[in-house]
Amino acid sequence: MVLAYPSQRVAYPYFVVALFLFILQVIVGIWLASSYAFTMPQGLVDILPFSTTRAIHTNLLVLWLLLGFMGSTYFMVPEETERDLFSPTLAYVQLALLVGTGVAALTGFVFGWTKGRPLLEIPHPLDYLVVGGALIFLLNIGMTMLRARRWTVTQGSLLGGLVFLAVMYLFNLPFYANLSIDWYYWWWVIHLWVEGAWELVAAALTAWILMKITGVPRETVEKWLYVELGLFLFTGIAGTGHHYYWLGAPKYWLWVGGFFSALEPVPIILMLVDAWHYIQNRRGQLNGRLVFTFATGMAILHLVGAGFWGFAHTLPPINYYTHGSQVTVAHGHIAFFGAYVLLNLMFFYYAMPKLKGLASYDERRGTLAFWWLSLAMLGMTLAFSVAGVLQTYVERVMGLGYMTAQAQMRFWFTILAVLGLTLLAGVVLTVVDLLTLRPAPPAKASA
Amino acid sequence: MSAKAAKWIFYLGTLISLVLFLGLTVDTHRQIKTLTHTDKLSEQVVAGKRVWQKYNCNDCHTILGFGSYYAPDMTKVYWRRGSEGIKAVVRTPERFTTWRKMPHLGLTDLELQDLVAFLQWVSEIDTQDWPPQDQKLRAAAGRAVALGVSPGATLFQEKGCFACHRLYGTGGMLGPELTHVGSRRTYETIERILTDPRSVNPQATMPTPPLSHEERDELGRFLAGMK
Repeated sequence: MVLAYPSQRVAYPYFVVALFLFILQVIVGIWLASSYAFTMPQGLVDILPFSTTRAIHTNLLVLWLLLGFMGSTYFMVPEETERDLFSPTLAYVQLALLVGTGVAALTGFVFGWTKGRPLLEIPHPLDYLVVGGALIFLLNIGMTMLRARRWTVTQGSLLGGLVFLAVMYLFNLPFYANLSIDWYYWWWVIHLWVEGAWELVAAALTAWILMKITGVPRETVEKWLYVELGLFLFTGIAGTGHHYYWLGAPKYWLWVGGFFSALEPVPIILMLVDAWHYIQNRRGQLNGRLVFTFATGMAILHLVGAGFWGFAHTLPPINYYTHGSQVTVAHGHIAFFGAYVLLNLMFFYYAMPKLKGLASYDERRGTLAFWWLSLAMLGMTLAFSVAGVLQTYVERVMGLGYMTAQAQMRFWFTILAVLGLTLLAGVVLTVVDLLTLRPAPPAKASA
Repeated sequence: MSAKAAKWIFYLGTLISLVLFLGLTVDTHRQIKTLTHTDKLSEQVVAGKRVWQKYNCNDCHTILGFGSYYAPDMTKVYWRRGSEGIKAVVRTPERFTTWRKMPHLGLTDLELQDLVAFLQWVSEIDTQDWPPQDQKLRAAAGRAVALGVSPGATLFQEKGCFACHRLYGTGGMLGPELTHVGSRRTYETIERILTDPRSVNPQATMPTPPLSHEERDELGRFLAGMK
């Protein structure tokens, strides 16, 4: 028996749905890149405008990452609390509710049913169902932890992050009459998710995996977890100000946002150093080479994407020219990939073999998938960045007009469509591999 | 580092950032009234914002630099196109686009009025001079328009002439540059073009601008003076 607690099994359908949505997200992404590169006929644009497919692309991203987090949480919490889940049935109900809401929302987008706020397009009353799903989830996890009464810092960070995440979503519910205030609170959802709540969840899941695969003692891992969380929140909360430079807010946000967000790479560097340190000081054999590869890749690309690409345009004098250009898109893609896509995949590669009752598995396809995905995404990031620099220079510095700049960028979007197809092949490889894991070949096992 | 010190970093780090952030949020709410001149935030502007959201404009266009990057930023579109220009693009996008298309959204006339009111209100938000490209436009157009020195110049902006024509290098690319039009065309010719664009050039694709007799006279005198 590889599963320590039977209720961990609820994670499996979460992972499967998440992986399926990941494939869909990338397919829609290729369509978006093609819409930039080629001329779509007016008749088609009238029926299926870019705005609709863009809403689908981003909502699929959020949905699959969150389902991945939830599945991972359901897998981790029983082992961490040493107790089965409060209610596995409720976990299935929650999944059905969220997936049903997701399907309704995505279908609705095609027919123009939308709240019309980027990334948060899910309209009333579907957004209340999302809240309902989140509440069921928090209840299930919270009750499991309460009944177990075995509090750890890792659990605290996870639960704290999840509650923080759910609370921030509430700022999406009202209608804001003032556009500036609308965007002010839009960032409470988006920024405080990805640079706050999600980082807490990510730090907890990563700390737990590192404890599992390296055998480094809990006291060490959790001590540094405190420091990381403190730095994430110190830089991340006030760092929200780097979105407030040009939206009609007071000028001091240029200083506050610039200062705190410039420090945002610090906790990510610390995370990388910690991971490296634990792996150097591991006790015995590394328990799962591929999971280690994903963990290292995540730590590095998290730093590259969120850290370096974020820092590159966070200071006001630069952001004045790059704000709202493809530079943002480059940063968005590599940051989400490095921080959260690889986190989910790392966790899936840790948990999937156990869910399938495998003590060890053939890691060759998975290793190939890791490199394929990461290199394709790095290529895409560079293409977006070139397009972004062109846009910044031609449109903003020279003032030659939006479409003149877009014409210069067209070539790079053709490249992006091709790289997107490459990424898709990597995603399919990953999903197929995760769903059909095979036992390690005997020759390799004895070596 | 001791475990105790680690906990202190966590609690202090979080608390300092949180207190600062919430404090500045309160102050921002106070100042935003002036920065976004909420006294002009009329019911029509709010209705226009609902139109903006209803048609999901923000998933192609950015506004205040946020949203999707597929189409031009709308923060200062009112400066660039004026109310008639905005209406013309939304009604007949195919006339203003070449290789990247905008859908026919089918707004009612009332929705269009509200949307323009919303975009006009947005254009007056104090964005610390962002975006740079429109600041350039304002500086250029400002020589003729923004100071309101001439009613004809204001009409040029209001009636959306910038959508196709350029003054001082800024504006649309579909029609000819008009910075020195006064040295090429007389007042009489310009007035004939404004009455019926094809009367001078039978191949002209320019639509007949919606102008009253007095407006045509003002705009004609303004353009004839551009030498």
